[in-house]
Amino acid sequence: MNAIIVSAVWGVVMMFCSFLVKNKGLYRHIATFGLIILLIAIFLNAWGINIFDIDDHNMLHFNNFGTAFNTIAIACTLVYVLLTGKEVEKYGKYSAEYFTLIFFSLCGVAVLSAYNNLLMLFIGIEIMSIPLYILTGSDKKNLKSNEAALKYFLMGSFSTGIMLMGIALMYGGTGSFQLEVARVQGLGPGKSLSFLEVTGMLFLFVSLAFKVSAAPFHFWTPDVYDGAPTVFTSFMATIVKAAGFVAFIKLLEVKVAETGIAVDKLIGINWQLLIVILIIATLLVGNITAVFQQSVKRMLAYSSIAQAGFMLFSLFSLNDIAHEGLLLYAAAYSLATIGIFAILVKMKDYTFEGFNGLAKKQPLVAAANTVFLLSLAGIPLTGGFFAKYYMLASVMKTGTYTWLVVVVVLFAAVSVYYYFRVIQAMYFKEGDAATEEFAPSFKFALVALAALIIAIGIIPSIVLNLFYF
Amino acid sequence: MSIIEIFFWLLSGLAIFSAIMVLISKNPVHSVLWLIVVFFAISGHYILLNAQFLAIVNLIVYAGAIMVLFLFVIMLMNLNADADPQKNVWLKVIGIVTGGLLLTVLVSAVRSSNDLVNRSAELKTGSIGLIKSLGITLFNEYTVPFELSSILFLSAMVGAVVIGKKE
Repeated sequence: MNAIIVSAVWGVVMMFCSFLVKNKGLYRHIATFGLIILLIAIFLNAWGINIFDIDDHNMLHFNNFGTAFNTIAIACTLVYVLLTGKEVEKYGKYSAEYFTLIFFSLCGVAVLSAYNNLLMLFIGIEIMSIPLYILTGSDKKNLKSNEAALKYFLMGSFSTGIMLMGIALMYGGTGSFQLEVARVQGLGPGKSLSFLEVTGMLFLFVSLAFKVSAAPFHFWTPDVYDGAPTVFTSFMATIVKAAGFVAFIKLLEVKVAETGIAVDKLIGINWQLLIVILIIATLLVGNITAVFQQSVKRMLAYSSIAQAGFMLFSLFSLNDIAHEGLLLYAAAYSLATIGIFAILVKMKDYTFEGFNGLAKKQPLVAAANTVFLLSLAGIPLTGGFFAKYYMLASVMKTGTYTWLVVVVVLFAAVSVYYYFRVIQAMYFKEGDAATEEFAPSFKFALVALAALIIAIGIIPSIVLNLFYF
Repeated sequence: MSIIEIFFWLLSGLAIFSAIMVLISKNPVHSVLWLIVVFFAISGHYILLNAQFLAIVNLIVYAGAIMVLFLFVIMLMNLNADADPQKNVWLKVIGIVTGGLLLTVLVSAVRSSNDLVNRSAELKTGSIGLIKSLGITLFNEYTVPFELSSILFLSAMVGAVVIGKKE
């Protein structure tokens, strides 16, 4: 509850700052300060100290997993604001409002990491997404940004409609919005869920798959991520996407655990097979299309689809390792992507050629970028390696569909190709990479972030310990 | 057949007929007007279920405010039958197949649902749609989502100002 309220209140504080504080450069420092307060609030929550004592009628349920994820989300946002907060000021004069929207979005993330009720799921998803529609369209003079915002808004509204329909059907099937509700009908052997609930579950499945941009619901992702201002793409593609997965895994695991029946009986058809199809489609579309991109930004959009494919494994296996892996993946993927986007924002040319010869001009930046890219590709000694390792280990633990591991390793090999294209451009190609000025503090922050990613890659327990507060 | 049942079938028939008319009308303005009829029919159902407050709110919010907005937008865009974009025939086939599949799922869900067998709606009884019980539920059990939705609206308002205001 701490994080939900503090993030909402700090969003309002940022709104007041927009007309009380005249110095525009101060906004990001106020936001940084707010995020530090938020981090303290979530730590207090983890230690069992609740500043606000509110009877939520069991609509929110704070467990270690949710709190740990929320901590990661806030910490990543802090890194994001520290690295790219200055870029936010470039898009019009409403930079304080943009920070407001980021805080509101974080409030949605906090709701999603603790929801225990379908109504809260809906409200959380909406609080998280509506600010994003606006941030996507914040570059008002740019036609691509406008198009992306409209597309995102319309598609997002559709998925919201499907989600509401699903929730309504689940309500019809069970008579309650609570996740772990007593069944209307007894679930003995041979009996299955009420068909209304099954259909509702399918609808929820579709809309959440849309939110995490799993194929075949991914069509909005490249256009939106490409059209949105780069600095906001960075926020959308990392923290928000990971929050979608946390909401997804919670829904699935509660529904699987409460029915007490095999995973593959959940909706009458083979549930796990459905996710396997989703995983393979997502990996295929994300990886293969990313290979053919010319723009690094668009490549990163497709790579985010591919990474979503890896994260889907946690939904497939739904065991302890899956939870640990999802936390680790959220941290490693978010930090690396935020780092790459922070560098990309400073580039004049977003194509692969734009990176030619960066290593000669800016050796430190190029080295940090290499670490981020290696982490995304899942090379050992970086955070991305352990993230992928945990995902695969969770599949092995389930003991079914173990051939998936082979498929995934193949796709990971494909992903190495397009990540290394950037590294190749930076180190082995002649060219004059046009960039904006890199401040010494920015370089220091990049190196610190790269060090953090390597640290996660060597001792992943620094993230996983959050899980066992 | 009691008078309530006659009303029920009448309203259901009206709702389904006008919903179909929404889809097949060529003129978008006619579609919107038919949609208003759908809302009126559904409000009639609410009254049959003894949910007067819901019925009135449904009329005011949907048939009133949202439909007026809809009409405004359609009239501003000046759509008419001639401007109807030519759609690819394959796209139409795919659309029909997809929609038909969805219909199959929904119909089979309702048909095979054990909960719905031998049950009928509570007509004239039940206090769920009355404003008193609604208020009590909203401010007791649903306080947290109620308050949280204020953040949702706040962010939408901030967004409207950010997008709509001149630089």
